[in-house]
Amino acid sequence: MKLLKNLVLASAFSGLIMGSGLVLAGDPADPSRPDPAQIARGAKAWADQCGRCHNMRAPAELNDEDWYVSVTHMRVRGNIPGDMIRDIQAFLMASNKKE
Amino acid sequence: MQGFKKLFTVLSISTFIALSVLILGPPLAAQEPTNQELLERIEALEEELQYFRDILEANTEKATEARERAVAAEAKAEEATRTAESAAASRTARPLSDTKWHLAGYADAGAMFRTNGGDDTFAFGHFNPVFHFQYKDIVMFEGELEFEIDEDGKTEVALEYATLNFLVHDNVSIVVGKFLSPIGQFQERLHPTWINKIGYAPAGFGHDGAQPSSEIGVQVRGGISIGKRSMVNYAVMVGNGPRMGHEGGLELEGFGRDDNQNKAFGGRIGFLPVPYFEIGGSYMKAAVNGLEGTGALMPTTGKVKIWGADAAYTRGPWDFRFEYLNTVRGALNSAEEEGGEVEALDRLVLKAWYVQLAYRLSEITSSPFLRRLEPVVRYGKFNISGNHHLEEENAQTRLNIGLNYWIAPSLVARIGYEQRKFLVEGIKEKLILLQAAYGF
Repeated sequence: MKLLKNLVLASAFSGLIMGSGLVLAGDPADPSRPDPAQIARGAKAWADQCGRCHNMRAPAELNDEDWYVSVTHMRVRGNIPGDMIRDIQAFLMASNKKE
Repeated sequence: MQGFKKLFTVLSISTFIALSVLILGPPLAAQEPTNQELLERIEALEEELQYFRDILEANTEKATEARERAVAAEAKAEEATRTAESAAASRTARPLSDTKWHLAGYADAGAMFRTNGGDDTFAFGHFNPVFHFQYKDIVMFEGELEFEIDEDGKTEVALEYATLNFLVHDNVSIVVGKFLSPIGQFQERLHPTWINKIGYAPAGFGHDGAQPSSEIGVQVRGGISIGKRSMVNYAVMVGNGPRMGHEGGLELEGFGRDDNQNKAFGGRIGFLPVPYFEIGGSYMKAAVNGLEGTGALMPTTGKVKIWGADAAYTRGPWDFRFEYLNTVRGALNSAEEEGGEVEALDRLVLKAWYVQLAYRLSEITSSPFLRRLEPVVRYGKFNISGNHHLEEENAQTRLNIGLNYWIAPSLVARIGYEQRKFLVEGIKEKLILLQAAYGF
Protein backbone atom coordinates (compact mmCIF):
# COMPACT_ATOMS: atom_id res chain seq x y z
CA MET A 1 0.00 0.00 0.00
CA LYS A 2 2.82 2.32 0.92
CA LEU A 3 4.59 1.42 -2.29
CA LEU A 4 1.46 2.35 -4.19
CA LYS A 5 1.29 5.64 -2.32
CA ASN A 6 4.92 6.39 -3.09
CA LEU A 7 4.53 5.53 -6.74
CA VAL A 8 1.44 7.69 -6.98
CA LEU A 9 3.33 10.58 -5.44
CA ALA A 10 6.26 10.09 -7.78
CA SER A 11 3.95 9.82 -10.78
CA ALA A 12 2.01 12.89 -9.73
CA PHE A 13 5.22 14.85 -9.39
CA SER A 14 6.51 13.80 -12.78
CA GLY A 15 3.08 14.38 -14.29
CA LEU A 16 3.08 17.89 -12.92
CA ILE A 17 6.38 18.61 -14.53
CA MET A 18 5.44 16.98 -17.78
CA GLY A 19 2.16 18.84 -17.84
CA SER A 20 3.59 21.32 -20.27
CA GLY A 21 3.55 18.57 -22.88
CA LEU A 22 4.70 15.00 -22.58
CA VAL A 23 6.46 14.03 -25.72
CA LEU A 24 9.28 11.73 -26.56
CA ALA A 25 12.27 13.93 -27.17
CA GLY A 26 12.91 12.20 -30.52
CA ASP A 27 15.86 12.91 -32.76
CA PRO A 28 17.78 16.10 -32.07
CA ALA A 29 18.51 18.66 -34.73
CA ASP A 30 20.57 17.25 -37.54
CA PRO A 31 24.11 17.56 -36.18
CA SER A 32 25.52 17.65 -39.70
CA ARG A 33 23.94 21.06 -40.28
CA PRO A 34 25.13 23.15 -37.38
CA ASP A 35 23.25 26.31 -36.58
CA PRO A 36 25.73 29.08 -35.62
CA ALA A 37 23.34 30.47 -32.99
CA GLN A 38 22.94 27.02 -31.45
CA ILE A 39 26.70 26.54 -31.39
CA ALA A 40 27.11 29.88 -29.62
CA ARG A 41 24.48 28.91 -27.05
CA GLY A 42 26.16 25.55 -26.66
CA ALA A 43 29.56 27.10 -25.99
CA LYS A 44 28.10 29.16 -23.17
CA ALA A 45 26.13 26.26 -21.72
CA TRP A 46 29.22 24.04 -21.92
CA ALA A 47 31.22 26.60 -19.95
CA ASP A 48 28.42 27.10 -17.43
CA GLN A 49 27.36 23.53 -16.79
CA CYS A 50 30.37 21.23 -17.13
CA GLY A 51 32.55 23.13 -14.68
CA ARG A 52 29.96 22.76 -11.93
CA CYS A 53 31.42 19.38 -10.96
CA HIS A 54 34.65 18.76 -12.86
CA ASN A 55 37.22 20.28 -15.18
CA MET A 56 36.02 20.93 -18.69
CA ARG A 57 37.54 18.53 -21.16
CA ALA A 58 38.74 19.93 -24.46
CA PRO A 59 36.33 19.36 -27.38
CA ALA A 60 39.06 17.61 -29.35
CA GLU A 61 39.33 14.85 -26.72
CA LEU A 62 36.36 12.92 -28.11
CA ASN A 63 34.82 12.27 -31.50
CA ASP A 64 31.24 13.13 -32.45
CA GLU A 65 29.67 9.89 -31.27
CA ASP A 66 31.53 9.84 -27.98
CA TRP A 67 30.55 13.42 -27.24
CA TYR A 68 26.95 12.81 -28.18
CA VAL A 69 26.61 9.88 -25.78
CA SER A 70 28.74 11.38 -23.05
CA VAL A 71 26.71 14.59 -23.02
CA THR A 72 23.46 12.61 -22.90
CA HIS A 73 24.85 10.86 -19.82
CA MET A 74 25.39 14.27 -18.24
CA ARG A 75 21.83 15.27 -19.14
CA VAL A 76 20.67 12.63 -16.65
CA ARG A 77 23.47 12.79 -14.10
CA GLY A 78 23.77 16.56 -14.07
CA ASN A 79 20.04 17.28 -14.37
CA ILE A 80 20.62 19.51 -17.39
CA PRO A 81 17.59 20.37 -19.56
CA GLY A 82 17.39 18.58 -22.92
CA ASP A 83 17.39 21.75 -25.05
CA MET A 84 20.59 22.89 -23.37
CA ILE A 85 22.11 19.46 -23.91
CA ARG A 86 21.42 19.65 -27.66
CA ASP A 87 23.15 23.04 -27.76
CA ILE A 88 26.18 21.59 -25.96
CA GLN A 89 26.27 18.61 -28.31
CA ALA A 90 26.13 20.92 -31.33
CA PHE A 91 28.97 23.02 -29.96
CA LEU A 92 31.24 20.09 -29.09
CA MET A 93 30.60 18.30 -32.36
CA ALA A 94 31.39 21.47 -34.31
CA SER A 95 34.52 22.19 -32.28
CA ASN A 96 36.22 18.82 -31.98
CA LYS A 97 37.76 18.68 -35.44
CA LYS A 98 41.53 19.03 -35.39
CA GLU A 99 42.94 21.37 -38.06
CA MET B 1 41.89 59.39 -57.89
CA GLN B 2 43.80 59.61 -61.18
CA GLY B 3 41.48 62.38 -62.34
CA PHE B 4 42.26 64.49 -59.34
CA LYS B 5 45.97 64.02 -59.84
CA LYS B 6 45.68 65.09 -63.46
CA LEU B 7 43.57 68.04 -62.48
CA PHE B 8 46.06 69.01 -59.85
CA THR B 9 48.95 68.72 -62.34
CA VAL B 10 47.17 70.75 -65.00
CA LEU B 11 46.20 73.40 -62.50
CA SER B 12 49.70 73.53 -61.11
CA ILE B 13 51.24 73.96 -64.59
CA SER B 14 48.60 76.49 -65.56
CA THR B 15 49.16 78.41 -62.39
CA PHE B 16 52.90 78.31 -62.91
CA ILE B 17 52.58 79.60 -66.50
CA ALA B 18 50.09 82.19 -65.46
CA LEU B 19 52.26 83.39 -62.64
CA SER B 20 55.35 83.39 -64.88
CA VAL B 21 53.57 85.34 -67.55
CA LEU B 22 52.14 87.75 -65.07
CA ILE B 23 55.42 88.27 -63.30
CA LEU B 24 57.94 88.10 -66.16
CA GLY B 25 56.06 89.93 -68.86
CA PRO B 26 52.50 90.33 -70.07
CA PRO B 27 51.66 90.22 -73.80
CA LEU B 28 52.10 93.46 -75.55
CA ALA B 29 48.57 93.42 -76.75
CA ALA B 30 47.20 93.21 -73.29
CA GLN B 31 46.13 96.14 -71.33
CA GLU B 32 48.76 96.65 -68.66
CA PRO B 33 47.37 95.97 -65.22
CA THR B 34 48.41 97.82 -62.19
CA ASN B 35 50.59 96.18 -59.53
CA GLN B 36 47.65 96.05 -57.22
CA GLU B 37 45.59 94.16 -59.78
CA LEU B 38 48.41 91.72 -60.35
CA LEU B 39 48.71 91.05 -56.65
CA GLU B 40 44.98 90.46 -56.37
CA ARG B 41 45.10 88.03 -59.28
CA ILE B 42 48.02 86.19 -57.72
CA GLU B 43 46.18 85.94 -54.42
CA ALA B 44 43.05 84.70 -56.20
CA LEU B 45 45.05 82.09 -58.03
CA GLU B 46 46.77 81.04 -54.81
CA GLU B 47 43.41 80.66 -53.11
CA GLU B 48 42.18 78.59 -56.02
CA LEU B 49 45.28 76.44 -55.85
CA GLN B 50 44.81 75.93 -52.09
CA TYR B 51 41.18 74.96 -52.69
CA PHE B 52 42.19 72.21 -55.07
CA ARG B 53 44.96 71.09 -52.73
CA ASP B 54 42.38 70.72 -49.94
CA ILE B 55 40.13 68.67 -52.20
CA LEU B 56 43.02 66.46 -53.14
CA GLU B 57 44.05 65.95 -49.51
CA ALA B 58 40.50 65.07 -48.46
CA ASN B 59 40.21 62.55 -51.24
CA THR B 60 43.56 61.03 -50.34
CA GLU B 61 42.28 60.43 -46.78
CA LYS B 62 39.10 58.87 -48.13
CA ALA B 63 41.13 56.65 -50.39
CA THR B 64 43.24 55.42 -47.46
CA GLU B 65 40.12 54.69 -45.44
CA ALA B 66 38.57 52.84 -48.37
CA ARG B 67 41.71 50.76 -48.78
CA GLU B 68 41.61 49.76 -45.08
CA ARG B 69 37.97 48.79 -45.44
CA ALA B 70 38.79 46.68 -48.44
CA VAL B 71 41.51 44.83 -46.51
CA ALA B 72 39.06 44.15 -43.64
CA ALA B 73 36.39 42.96 -46.04
CA GLU B 74 38.89 40.64 -47.66
CA ALA B 75 39.76 39.13 -44.27
CA LYS B 76 36.08 38.63 -43.49
CA ALA B 77 35.55 37.00 -46.83
CA GLU B 78 38.41 34.60 -46.13
CA GLU B 79 36.92 33.77 -42.72
CA ALA B 80 33.50 33.20 -44.25
CA THR B 81 35.07 30.91 -46.83
CA ARG B 82 36.76 28.88 -44.08
CA THR B 83 33.48 28.63 -42.14
CA ALA B 84 31.65 27.53 -45.25
CA GLU B 85 34.32 24.91 -45.94
CA SER B 86 34.06 23.69 -42.35
CA ALA B 87 30.28 23.48 -42.58
CA ALA B 88 30.58 21.66 -45.86
CA ALA B 89 32.97 19.21 -44.23
CA SER B 90 30.44 18.69 -41.42
CA ARG B 91 27.68 18.05 -43.90
CA THR B 92 29.71 15.37 -45.56
CA ALA B 93 30.62 13.76 -42.19
CA ARG B 94 29.18 10.32 -41.57
CA PRO B 95 25.83 10.75 -39.81
CA LEU B 96 25.53 9.26 -36.34
CA SER B 97 23.75 5.95 -36.15
CA ASP B 98 20.59 5.45 -34.09
CA THR B 99 22.47 3.30 -31.59
CA LYS B 100 25.54 4.94 -30.19
CA TRP B 101 27.89 3.89 -27.43
CA HIS B 102 30.77 5.20 -25.41
CA LEU B 103 33.18 3.61 -22.97
CA ALA B 104 34.12 5.96 -20.16
CA GLY B 105 35.24 5.58 -16.56
CA TYR B 106 38.16 6.27 -14.32
CA ALA B 107 41.12 4.64 -12.64
CA ASP B 108 43.53 5.57 -9.91
CA ALA B 109 46.56 4.26 -8.10
CA GLY B 110 48.60 5.63 -5.26
CA ALA B 111 50.46 5.19 -2.04
CA MET B 112 49.77 5.90 1.62
CA PHE B 113 52.41 6.68 4.22
CA ARG B 114 51.59 6.80 7.92
CA THR B 115 53.60 9.38 9.81
CA ASN B 116 52.91 7.97 13.28
CA GLY B 117 53.37 4.25 12.92
CA GLY B 118 51.61 1.63 10.83
CA ASP B 119 52.48 0.22 7.45
CA ASP B 120 53.24 2.35 4.46
CA THR B 121 51.63 0.88 1.41
CA PHE B 122 51.16 1.20 -2.30
CA ALA B 123 47.56 0.83 -3.34
CA PHE B 124 45.78 0.27 -6.59
CA GLY B 125 42.63 2.17 -5.87
CA HIS B 126 40.03 1.66 -8.52
CA PHE B 127 39.38 0.69 -12.08
CA ASN B 128 35.83 1.72 -12.88
CA PRO B 129 34.75 1.26 -16.49
CA VAL B 130 31.45 2.91 -17.36
CA PHE B 131 29.43 1.72 -20.34
CA HIS B 132 26.99 4.01 -22.12
CA PHE B 133 24.63 2.80 -24.83
CA GLN B 134 22.09 5.17 -26.33
CA TYR B 135 19.20 4.60 -28.73
CA LYS B 136 18.27 7.86 -30.44
CA ASP B 137 17.25 10.42 -27.83
CA ILE B 138 14.86 7.94 -26.30
CA VAL B 139 16.80 5.76 -23.92
CA MET B 140 20.28 5.35 -22.53
CA PHE B 141 21.69 2.39 -20.64
CA GLU B 142 24.60 3.13 -18.38
CA GLY B 143 26.45 0.83 -16.07
CA GLU B 144 29.57 1.17 -13.94
CA LEU B 145 31.65 -1.68 -12.62
CA GLU B 146 34.19 -1.25 -9.87
CA PHE B 147 37.31 -3.40 -9.73
CA GLU B 148 39.39 -3.21 -6.59
CA ILE B 149 42.19 -5.28 -5.10
CA ASP B 150 41.83 -6.04 -1.42
CA GLU B 151 44.64 -6.27 1.12
CA ASP B 152 45.10 -9.97 0.41
CA GLY B 153 45.43 -9.46 -3.32
CA LYS B 154 41.98 -10.64 -4.29
CA THR B 155 40.14 -8.77 -6.99
CA GLU B 156 36.77 -7.50 -5.91
CA VAL B 157 34.12 -6.59 -8.43
CA ALA B 158 31.00 -4.59 -7.68
CA LEU B 159 28.21 -3.14 -9.76
CA GLU B 160 28.20 0.53 -8.81
CA TYR B 161 25.13 1.31 -10.86
CA ALA B 162 23.23 0.03 -13.88
CA THR B 163 20.24 1.98 -15.13
CA LEU B 164 17.96 2.50 -18.07
CA ASN B 165 17.38 6.21 -18.48
CA PHE B 166 14.28 7.18 -20.44
CA LEU B 167 14.55 10.70 -21.86
CA VAL B 168 10.84 11.39 -21.85
CA HIS B 169 10.95 15.17 -21.91
CA ASP B 170 13.53 17.96 -21.99
CA ASN B 171 12.92 18.42 -18.27
CA VAL B 172 12.21 14.84 -17.21
CA SER B 173 14.15 11.60 -17.29
CA ILE B 174 12.92 8.39 -15.73
CA VAL B 175 15.69 6.21 -14.34
CA VAL B 176 15.12 2.56 -13.43
CA GLY B 177 17.58 0.08 -11.99
CA LYS B 178 20.42 0.48 -9.54
CA PHE B 179 21.40 4.12 -9.35
CA LEU B 180 23.71 6.28 -7.28
CA SER B 181 21.77 7.82 -4.44
CA PRO B 182 20.66 11.37 -5.22
CA ILE B 183 20.77 12.25 -1.52
CA GLY B 184 23.43 14.93 -1.07
CA GLN B 185 26.02 15.90 -3.68
CA PHE B 186 29.19 13.92 -2.93
CA GLN B 187 28.11 10.41 -3.81
CA GLU B 188 26.35 11.16 -7.04
CA ARG B 189 28.55 13.90 -8.44
CA LEU B 190 31.94 14.05 -6.79
CA HIS B 191 33.09 10.59 -5.74
CA PRO B 192 35.10 9.59 -8.87
CA THR B 193 38.72 10.11 -7.94
CA TRP B 194 39.51 12.35 -10.89
CA ILE B 195 36.66 14.67 -9.85
CA ASN B 196 37.09 14.48 -6.08
CA LYS B 197 39.68 17.17 -5.32
CA ILE B 198 41.10 15.23 -2.40
CA GLY B 199 40.85 11.77 -3.94
CA TYR B 200 39.32 10.17 -0.86
CA ALA B 201 35.85 10.53 0.64
CA PRO B 202 35.20 12.92 3.52
CA ALA B 203 34.54 11.32 6.91
CA GLY B 204 30.98 9.99 7.00
CA PHE B 205 30.52 10.06 3.23
CA GLY B 206 31.95 6.65 2.42
CA HIS B 207 31.02 3.15 3.54
CA ASP B 208 29.43 2.99 7.01
CA GLY B 209 28.76 6.69 6.71
CA ALA B 210 25.68 8.89 6.87
CA GLN B 211 25.21 9.14 3.11
CA PRO B 212 23.37 6.48 1.09
CA SER B 213 25.58 5.22 -1.71
CA SER B 214 23.02 3.67 -4.05
CA GLU B 215 19.44 2.54 -4.40
CA ILE B 216 17.47 0.09 -6.51
CA GLY B 217 14.17 1.42 -7.73
CA VAL B 218 12.77 4.22 -9.85
CA GLN B 219 13.88 7.80 -10.12
CA VAL B 220 12.32 10.81 -11.82
CA ARG B 221 14.77 13.64 -12.37
CA GLY B 222 15.67 16.60 -14.51
CA GLY B 223 16.45 20.27 -14.70
CA ILE B 224 14.34 23.31 -15.54
CA SER B 225 15.76 26.62 -16.75
CA ILE B 226 14.34 29.73 -15.14
CA GLY B 227 15.03 32.82 -17.18
CA LYS B 228 18.40 33.17 -18.83
CA ARG B 229 20.72 32.10 -16.02
CA SER B 230 18.83 30.38 -13.20
CA MET B 231 17.91 26.73 -12.94
CA VAL B 232 16.15 24.27 -10.69
CA ASN B 233 17.09 20.61 -10.67
CA TYR B 234 15.36 17.76 -8.94
CA ALA B 235 15.50 14.02 -8.33
CA VAL B 236 12.70 12.01 -6.72
CA MET B 237 13.18 8.33 -6.01
CA VAL B 238 11.45 5.25 -4.70
CA GLY B 239 13.57 2.23 -3.87
CA ASN B 240 13.99 -0.92 -1.84
CA GLY B 241 15.73 1.03 0.89
CA PRO B 242 18.51 0.33 3.38
CA ARG B 243 19.03 -2.59 5.74
CA MET B 244 20.54 -3.11 9.13
CA GLY B 245 24.30 -3.44 9.00
CA HIS B 246 26.80 -4.99 11.33
CA GLU B 247 26.99 -3.95 14.97
CA GLY B 248 23.77 -1.99 14.83
CA GLY B 249 24.78 0.24 11.97
CA LEU B 250 23.04 0.90 8.67
CA GLU B 251 23.77 -0.39 5.19
CA LEU B 252 22.67 2.58 3.12
CA GLU B 253 22.90 1.01 -0.31
CA GLY B 254 20.79 -0.60 -2.97
CA PHE B 255 19.61 -4.13 -2.21
CA GLY B 256 18.18 -6.42 -4.86
CA ARG B 257 15.09 -7.23 -2.82
CA ASP B 258 12.96 -5.31 -0.39
CA ASP B 259 12.80 -7.14 2.91
CA ASN B 260 9.93 -5.12 4.33
CA GLN B 261 6.93 -3.23 3.08
CA ASN B 262 8.53 0.15 3.59
CA LYS B 263 10.04 1.47 0.44
CA ALA B 264 12.63 4.21 0.69
CA PHE B 265 11.25 7.49 -0.63
CA GLY B 266 13.24 10.64 -1.06
CA GLY B 267 15.10 12.98 -3.32
CA ARG B 268 16.95 16.19 -3.70
CA ILE B 269 16.12 19.60 -5.07
CA GLY B 270 18.73 22.12 -6.10
CA PHE B 271 18.52 25.78 -7.06
CA LEU B 272 21.08 27.68 -9.09
CA PRO B 273 20.38 31.44 -9.10
CA VAL B 274 23.45 31.69 -11.34
CA PRO B 275 25.21 28.80 -13.08
CA TYR B 276 28.18 28.81 -10.68
CA PHE B 277 26.29 28.72 -7.39
CA GLU B 278 24.01 25.94 -6.23
CA ILE B 279 22.22 25.20 -3.00
CA GLY B 280 20.45 21.93 -2.47
CA GLY B 281 18.32 20.10 0.04
CA SER B 282 17.80 16.35 0.40
CA TYR B 283 15.37 14.14 2.27
CA MET B 284 14.78 10.41 2.49
CA LYS B 285 12.62 8.21 4.66
CA ALA B 286 12.71 4.45 4.92
CA ALA B 287 12.57 1.64 7.44
CA VAL B 288 14.82 -1.25 8.38
CA ASN B 289 14.04 -4.63 9.88
CA GLY B 290 15.91 -5.77 12.95
CA LEU B 291 18.20 -8.74 12.30
CA GLU B 292 16.95 -12.18 13.34
CA GLY B 293 18.76 -13.83 16.22
CA THR B 294 18.49 -15.57 19.52
CA GLY B 295 17.05 -14.52 22.87
CA ALA B 296 13.68 -13.50 24.21
CA LEU B 297 13.22 -10.36 22.12
CA MET B 298 11.74 -10.42 18.63
CA PRO B 299 13.21 -8.17 15.95
CA THR B 300 11.20 -5.03 15.21
CA THR B 301 11.24 -2.38 12.52
CA GLY B 302 12.93 0.96 12.93
CA LYS B 303 12.32 4.11 10.91
CA VAL B 304 15.14 5.77 9.02
CA LYS B 305 15.11 9.45 8.20
CA ILE B 306 17.79 11.40 6.40
CA TRP B 307 17.94 15.07 5.62
CA GLY B 308 20.74 17.17 4.30
CA ALA B 309 21.83 20.43 2.77
CA ASP B 310 24.62 21.19 0.33
CA ALA B 311 26.11 24.12 -1.51
CA ALA B 312 28.65 24.61 -4.27
CA TYR B 313 30.38 27.72 -5.62
CA THR B 314 32.39 27.01 -8.75
CA ARG B 315 33.24 30.30 -10.38
CA GLY B 316 36.46 30.55 -12.37
CA PRO B 317 39.39 29.01 -10.48
CA TRP B 318 37.40 28.69 -7.24
CA ASP B 319 35.72 25.48 -6.14
CA PHE B 320 33.93 25.62 -2.80
CA ARG B 321 31.76 22.81 -1.44
CA PHE B 322 29.74 22.31 1.66
CA GLU B 323 27.58 19.39 2.63
CA TYR B 324 25.73 18.28 5.73
CA LEU B 325 23.80 15.08 6.32
CA ASN B 326 21.76 13.98 9.31
CA THR B 327 20.80 10.32 9.36
CA VAL B 328 18.61 8.87 12.10
CA ARG B 329 17.62 5.26 12.68
CA GLY B 330 14.91 4.86 15.26
CA ALA B 331 15.18 2.51 18.22
CA LEU B 332 14.43 -1.13 17.42
CA ASN B 333 15.06 -4.69 18.49
CA SER B 334 17.79 -6.32 16.44
CA ALA B 335 20.77 -8.61 16.65
CA GLU B 336 24.05 -6.78 16.04
CA GLU B 337 25.07 -9.59 13.69
CA GLU B 338 22.82 -12.09 11.91
CA GLY B 339 22.14 -14.97 14.33
CA GLY B 340 23.38 -13.12 17.40
CA GLU B 341 21.32 -12.19 20.41
CA VAL B 342 18.47 -9.81 19.72
CA GLU B 343 18.82 -6.65 21.80
CA ALA B 344 16.98 -3.38 22.19
CA LEU B 345 19.11 -0.91 20.22
CA ASP B 346 19.01 2.80 20.94
CA ARG B 347 18.18 5.45 18.43
CA LEU B 348 21.23 5.92 16.18
CA VAL B 349 22.16 9.38 14.95
CA LEU B 350 24.85 9.96 12.30
CA LYS B 351 25.84 13.52 11.46
CA ALA B 352 28.44 14.23 8.82
CA TRP B 353 29.60 17.45 7.24
CA TYR B 354 32.52 18.94 5.40
CA VAL B 355 33.67 22.16 3.82
CA GLN B 356 36.16 22.14 0.98
CA LEU B 357 37.96 24.89 -0.87
CA ALA B 358 40.17 24.53 -3.92
CA TYR B 359 41.80 27.21 -6.05
CA ARG B 360 43.41 26.71 -9.43
CA LEU B 361 46.46 28.94 -9.88
CA SER B 362 45.83 29.45 -13.59
CA GLU B 363 44.29 32.87 -12.94
CA ILE B 364 47.27 34.36 -11.14
CA THR B 365 50.29 33.13 -13.03
CA SER B 366 51.36 32.60 -16.60
CA SER B 367 53.94 29.95 -15.70
CA PRO B 368 53.01 26.75 -17.58
CA PHE B 369 53.90 24.69 -14.50
CA LEU B 370 52.26 26.81 -11.81
CA ARG B 371 49.06 27.23 -13.83
CA ARG B 372 48.41 23.52 -13.45
CA LEU B 373 48.59 23.54 -9.67
CA GLU B 374 45.53 23.53 -7.45
CA PRO B 375 45.85 23.71 -3.68
CA VAL B 376 42.89 22.30 -1.78
CA VAL B 377 41.83 22.09 1.85
CA ARG B 378 38.95 20.18 3.39
CA TYR B 379 37.74 19.84 6.93
CA GLY B 380 34.90 17.64 8.08
CA LYS B 381 33.38 15.89 11.05
CA PHE B 382 31.50 12.64 11.52
CA ASN B 383 29.51 12.43 14.74
CA ILE B 384 27.82 9.26 15.93
CA SER B 385 25.54 8.85 18.91
CA GLY B 386 23.47 5.90 20.08
CA ASN B 387 26.03 3.18 19.38
CA HIS B 388 29.27 3.35 21.33
CA HIS B 389 31.11 0.80 19.23
CA LEU B 390 30.42 2.60 15.96
CA GLU B 391 31.22 5.91 17.59
CA GLU B 392 34.55 4.61 18.84
CA GLU B 393 35.41 3.18 15.45
CA ASN B 394 34.29 5.93 13.11
CA ALA B 395 33.46 9.23 14.82
CA GLN B 396 36.20 11.66 13.89
CA THR B 397 37.27 14.98 12.54
CA ARG B 398 39.25 14.88 9.34
CA LEU B 399 41.55 17.55 7.95
CA ASN B 400 42.96 17.28 4.45
CA ILE B 401 45.47 19.57 2.82
CA GLY B 402 46.41 18.70 -0.72
CA LEU B 403 48.00 19.86 -3.92
CA ASN B 404 46.74 18.75 -7.31
CA TYR B 405 48.81 18.96 -10.47
CA TRP B 406 46.54 18.81 -13.52
CA ILE B 407 48.46 17.12 -16.33
CA ALA B 408 45.29 17.28 -18.45
CA PRO B 409 41.70 18.27 -17.61
CA SER B 410 40.92 14.72 -16.48
CA LEU B 411 44.38 13.52 -15.46
CA VAL B 412 45.75 14.56 -12.10
CA ALA B 413 48.70 13.74 -9.87
CA ARG B 414 48.23 14.74 -6.25
CA ILE B 415 49.89 14.77 -2.89
CA GLY B 416 47.99 15.27 0.32
CA TYR B 417 48.21 15.29 4.06
CA GLU B 418 45.37 13.85 6.12
CA GLN B 419 44.83 14.06 9.84
CA ARG B 420 42.12 11.97 11.46
CA LYS B 421 41.27 12.66 15.05
CA PHE B 422 39.06 9.97 16.56
CA LEU B 423 36.59 11.59 18.89
CA VAL B 424 36.15 8.89 21.52
CA GLU B 425 39.77 8.04 22.27
CA GLY B 426 41.36 11.24 21.01
CA ILE B 427 43.84 9.30 18.86
CA LYS B 428 45.33 11.16 15.90
CA GLU B 429 46.23 9.38 12.72
CA LYS B 430 48.39 11.22 10.21
CA LEU B 431 48.79 10.16 6.61
CA ILE B 432 50.63 11.30 3.51
CA LEU B 433 48.65 10.36 0.42
CA LEU B 434 49.95 10.14 -3.14
CA GLN B 435 47.60 9.45 -6.00
CA ALA B 436 47.31 9.60 -9.76
CA ALA B 437 43.78 9.58 -11.15
CA TYR B 438 42.55 9.53 -14.72
CA GLY B 439 39.02 10.04 -15.98
CA PHE B 440 38.46 8.72 -19.48
